[in-house]
Amino acid sequence: MILGLTLFGGGAWLISLGGSWYYALAGVGLVLTGVLLNHGSMKAFWLYLLVWAGTLAWAWWESGADGWAQVPRMLSPTVILLLMLLCIPSLSRAGQDRN
Amino acid sequence: MTFALPRHRHLTRCTMNAVLGLAALPALAQMPEPDTPPAPVAAAMPIPVGTDWPYYGGDGNAQRFSPLSQITPGNVGSLERAFVYHTGDLPPGDTAGKYAPETTPLKIGDSLVLCTAMNMLISIDAATGEENWRFDPEVAPEAVPYGATCRGVAAYTDPESPEEAPCKVRVIEATLDARLIALDLGTGAPCAGFGTGGQVDLWQGIGEKVPGFYAVTAAPTVVGGVIVTGAQVKDGQAEDAPSGVVRAFDAVTGELAWAWDLAAPEDMRNGPPEGQTYTRGTPNMWTTATADEARGIVYLPLGNSAVDYYGSNRSETENTYATSLVALDAGTGEELWHFQTVRHDVWDYDLGSQATLLEYKGQPGILLPSKQGDLYILNRETGTPLTPVGELTELPQGDIEPDFVADSQPVSLWATLRKPPLTEKRMWGFTPIDQLYCRIRFRQAVYDGYLTPPSTKNYIQYPGYTGGSDWGSVAVDPKRGLLIANYNDIPNLNRLVTRAEADAEGMRPLGGPGGHVTSRGQPQVGAPYGVKTNAGWRSGLTDLPCTQPPYGGITAIDLETGETVWDVPLGTARRSGPFGLPSLLPFTIGTPNNGGAVVTASGLIFIGAATDNLFRAIDTETGETLWTDALPAGGQANPISYEVDGRQYVLISAGGHHAMETGTSDAIIAYRLPD
Repeated sequence: MILGLTLFGGGAWLISLGGSWYYALAGVGLVLTGVLLNHGSMKAFWLYLLVWAGTLAWAWWESGADGWAQVPRMLSPTVILLLMLLCIPSLSRAGQDRN
Repeated sequence: MTFALPRHRHLTRCTMNAVLGLAALPALAQMPEPDTPPAPVAAAMPIPVGTDWPYYGGDGNAQRFSPLSQITPGNVGSLERAFVYHTGDLPPGDTAGKYAPETTPLKIGDSLVLCTAMNMLISIDAATGEENWRFDPEVAPEAVPYGATCRGVAAYTDPESPEEAPCKVRVIEATLDARLIALDLGTGAPCAGFGTGGQVDLWQGIGEKVPGFYAVTAAPTVVGGVIVTGAQVKDGQAEDAPSGVVRAFDAVTGELAWAWDLAAPEDMRNGPPEGQTYTRGTPNMWTTATADEARGIVYLPLGNSAVDYYGSNRSETENTYATSLVALDAGTGEELWHFQTVRHDVWDYDLGSQATLLEYKGQPGILLPSKQGDLYILNRETGTPLTPVGELTELPQGDIEPDFVADSQPVSLWATLRKPPLTEKRMWGFTPIDQLYCRIRFRQAVYDGYLTPPSTKNYIQYPGYTGGSDWGSVAVDPKRGLLIANYNDIPNLNRLVTRAEADAEGMRPLGGPGGHVTSRGQPQVGAPYGVKTNAGWRSGLTDLPCTQPPYGGITAIDLETGETVWDVPLGTARRSGPFGLPSLLPFTIGTPNNGGAVVTASGLIFIGAATDNLFRAIDTETGETLWTDALPAGGQANPISYEVDGRQYVLISAGGHHAMETGTSDAIIAYRLPD
């Protein structure tokens, strides 16, 4: 959530300076993911996967196969994706409990 | 313009040198077969580069090329340390964090002679590293300017002195506290006939002695029997700074032969009148000159005026010569021609690289690298460009001094190390958050591409003031027709500060009350603004650079066509990381680098320079790294190659560099193939 809000805030500032729209959009995605996570919804994972896939597409479009250029773009979003994968069992259990 | 031979008292010596082929170098060095009495003419021949490394730049042409070929791309993998010599010159408390020795030894006969960060002169055995002698001029710590540095020394053989006489062959050093020192190469004893007790005070005619304001860090150049030296004048302190005068002293007596004060060349030729000083605040030569011994010409790469980032108050003569290569008659100190690389420089694009002499398409050429990355080859007799020079027009004028900032600038159409302008997507970080921070900072900064003029807002200067090419210069492989250049690829984030802000922050110039050297601020007293510089544009969040790698590279350029043969990042990420932590990653990233290369006839490039503290051998044909060795501190020094008893050595000073954050060491390390 905090990560998402930071990205959204900074991203909006960047847009106002004429820069990339990616950060604000990713920030919105992260905030919504956070909201869904708090509800223990499995949708959180699917939404994050969408954010991650969008990030991958954007990162490739901006910098292609340049490994060092991809460090800030893909490294931590991918770490978060792995953490989300670890969350899947508890998310699905929370979903089943509700059912 | 045609070149006339110098008419001067040194003509006799010049002519002798030409006739005997004596040039500036040691006849005393041992010939390979000492049993065979050498023929008189042969004995007087200058020692060529090869077995010896007789000049700072290798040979007198400063090509940084060794004709040796025992170490090859095939066997370099088995290279091992022959010896590690410790100079003992390590920073005491009050100079800690200011060491950057940058030392390149000379190798003459059986020994190496070198200077240390604090100007100790040392002779060691070239095969074993055993110490022959040392001389400590006892330079005071206050004399250290930007850094404690001594890039090299010069040697001179006095043709008129009898064989075996003391100081027949002498080593000459210029010091941080502005002294010229001449010692006997064999014994280290001061040359009694040189100045006073073997020393000449370079403060003469400069004005009030302010330690650290006027210091020599570069190797002097000997030509036609005179020693030519400039000095480093601490950048950006005040308009009223020591003069940039370049002087020549008789290599035997130490007497002033001539002075070249660009603002008053006639009046100051024999020194300033009683009670006066050389013209203050003029552009200086802080790097090493190159001499064409046969033509009697010396080539001076000049820097900028004392105040770098504001120019409206500079004189017309300063504007004429700043950031120019100037050719002087080495006999008289009279100007022959000059070639300016930046008009009205407000970017601190000093010419820091020693220029290289080469034959170019049948003409006598001189190769000039620059911080802005442009490479030029000029006819060294006339200054006429031999490679195409274009003109950049309609350049941004800025709002600080639009009438002063030039709206057009020269540009090399032959070859440049400069990369395309920065864009937002080249902003970097470790995570999306700090990348976003740098992208916001990029959008906020004033940036109109190359040569964006200074501003009171944060503005981007790209390339930054470390180049392109810096003092390590470039190397030439005449055999393969290649130019080998390592370079930096990093911007500066700068900002002009108003006088009130500069005063409020305590930015005061050296020489005034409370004056001290600061790394990121320059008061520029006399101009309406001071300046703050952030070299490499480090992120305030992580200390990582705000731009993406590579930050430096090395390239081979075809001298015939100017085309790039290969261009690769230089340096791994092993010592880089966020918050100053080493990542230990063995991947090539391309780090900032400082210090040049030595190129060998066998097709190898040896270079340290990068901030990963590796010394490496690179294949000249492909750019591939074939061998590395981890140094105890940064190899920010030009390496050399030489031979002893039929074995080839490669040597680098691993002294580290304070500003490059590569540690401190006093190690001089030599390598050779195993027995």
